[in-house]
Amino acid sequence: MATVEDRVKAVTGRTLNIDPGEIQAEHSFTFDLGAESVQSVELVAMFEEEFGIEMDEDAALSVETVGSACEFIARVCAEQGVAVDLE
Amino acid sequence: MLAVLLSVVDRPVREFQSDKVKETRALKLILLDIDATGRRNFDPVGLSRPLFELRCGMTSLAEKLIARTKATDVACFIPEYMAGVYRTETQWPVNDPGALGADDLLLVNARVKADSFDIETAGPGEVGLGEDGGVQYVRVGADDLGRIQGEDITSWIDNAREVLPSVHANLPTWDYAWDLMLANPDELTADFNALGRSGIEGSVEQPNAIRGSDKDVFVAPGAVVHPMVVFDAADGPIYIDENAEIHPFTRIEGPCYVGAGSILLGAKCREGNYIGPLCRIGGELEESIIQGHSNKYHDGFLGHAYVGEWVNLGAQTSNSDLKNDYSTVSAILDGRRPLDTGSPKVGALIGDHTKTSIGTLMNTGSVVGAMALIMATGEPLPKFIPSFAWFLKGVTTKGFGKKKLYETARMAMSRRGKEFTGAHEAMFDAVFELTSEPRDEAIKKGRKQMAARQHS
Repeated sequence: MATVEDRVKAVTGRTLNIDPGEIQAEHSFTFDLGAESVQSVELVAMFEEEFGIEMDEDAALSVETVGSACEFIARVCAEQGVAVDLE
Repeated sequence: MLAVLLSVVDRPVREFQSDKVKETRALKLILLDIDATGRRNFDPVGLSRPLFELRCGMTSLAEKLIARTKATDVACFIPEYMAGVYRTETQWPVNDPGALGADDLLLVNARVKADSFDIETAGPGEVGLGEDGGVQYVRVGADDLGRIQGEDITSWIDNAREVLPSVHANLPTWDYAWDLMLANPDELTADFNALGRSGIEGSVEQPNAIRGSDKDVFVAPGAVVHPMVVFDAADGPIYIDENAEIHPFTRIEGPCYVGAGSILLGAKCREGNYIGPLCRIGGELEESIIQGHSNKYHDGFLGHAYVGEWVNLGAQTSNSDLKNDYSTVSAILDGRRPLDTGSPKVGALIGDHTKTSIGTLMNTGSVVGAMALIMATGEPLPKFIPSFAWFLKGVTTKGFGKKKLYETARMAMSRRGKEFTGAHEAMFDAVFELTSEPRDEAIKKGRKQMAARQHS
């Protein structure tokens, strides 16, 4: 199974039309990857769909970087009993 | 709301003629909006107000019942989640068991049509039942009061049913929000005639034109009518309330009511509209009810619609109100089950605080919940958009959540000198919970649609 980071990068790439290979953990969704507000909403929805989780929208939208998103999603998966590969 | 309350006192409202209605004794009218299931048929406009505050014609359902029964005192029982807000808007006791303690009482289900309420308001205790067995009214004399007990209004009424004789009254009722919208033109005319006011008491700048009789137009003090406005009262009266402002090139067909402080901006105002207080209306409007404090500033057609408060419709927002095959329109109130409205003309029902973007297209019989945010895609919207939905890129999402919606509501209300209080927040939190099931389903479906698009 792909890691959380691989899956986050894949979803981000599909949503923002970016090659996942170019996405780094320290990249900001807004400033580095160019996510507009509507795309931020789309990203949250796609992460939920990818991992089968429900995220609090305020908390999810406050996440700024790809790496932070990985940590946040891993934590939500743990809370909601969803098994994921961390590394 | 205060204006509404005062209007009950100051205006004749409807002088209903009935030899069965007594005028001389003190009567306390208790308005009941406690049927948690039945009231959902008035979603989304009933989600954030008592049903008796809904409009039909120039008056609310409460005002009609008060006028009909000639009540001297009023109290009400409503869903507890909206009581906090409503107490700030009315002088009537709200959900106060003490209101059941004195005088001759007449408890009436707010959905009973006032025009059909031909029940003696004084007389021996009696419970009137509808076709479905539900309580339509409870008449209680002062002598009966000690016999009826109850910890709350529901148990009090249950006890009244045991203590008092029941009759099958089968009074006609308002059953859905679209009933109000469809009856609106006739009620506008009846209310205008009952008020008996006509003439120009505000400022009307020339040139202007009145088609039909001058007697069928009333411009209230403080209202300003700019040049090049046409009042077409040939088929119904027109009432422009205090401090309303009608801009040039507006054409208003009667029957029509324009609420206090509202502004019409070159509007093509077809027949049968109720426009509540402090609205901004442009474009084309037909046979619609706009509760108040809502904006449809720009072009676009709204027909046979019921729009709540604090709604903003972006430029070119339009709704269909007639199907291409002229068949009756269905509407989906619960997100699942289409209901046949029985009418070939039903437009959109739009809940409080909902905003649409430019170019929003609404299908015939659309239901858009409260606190929804719509970003149009050029395609007609689904016929049901849940409350608190963020409709983006053609699907329902969680968007930025309800906190952001509350911030917007706070801003919108402050622009009109009103406050979105903690009570409002608590009420809409309850609305959020009440409407969660169809929203959660729509969000899940939206995620799948979004994912499918990405993979295609």
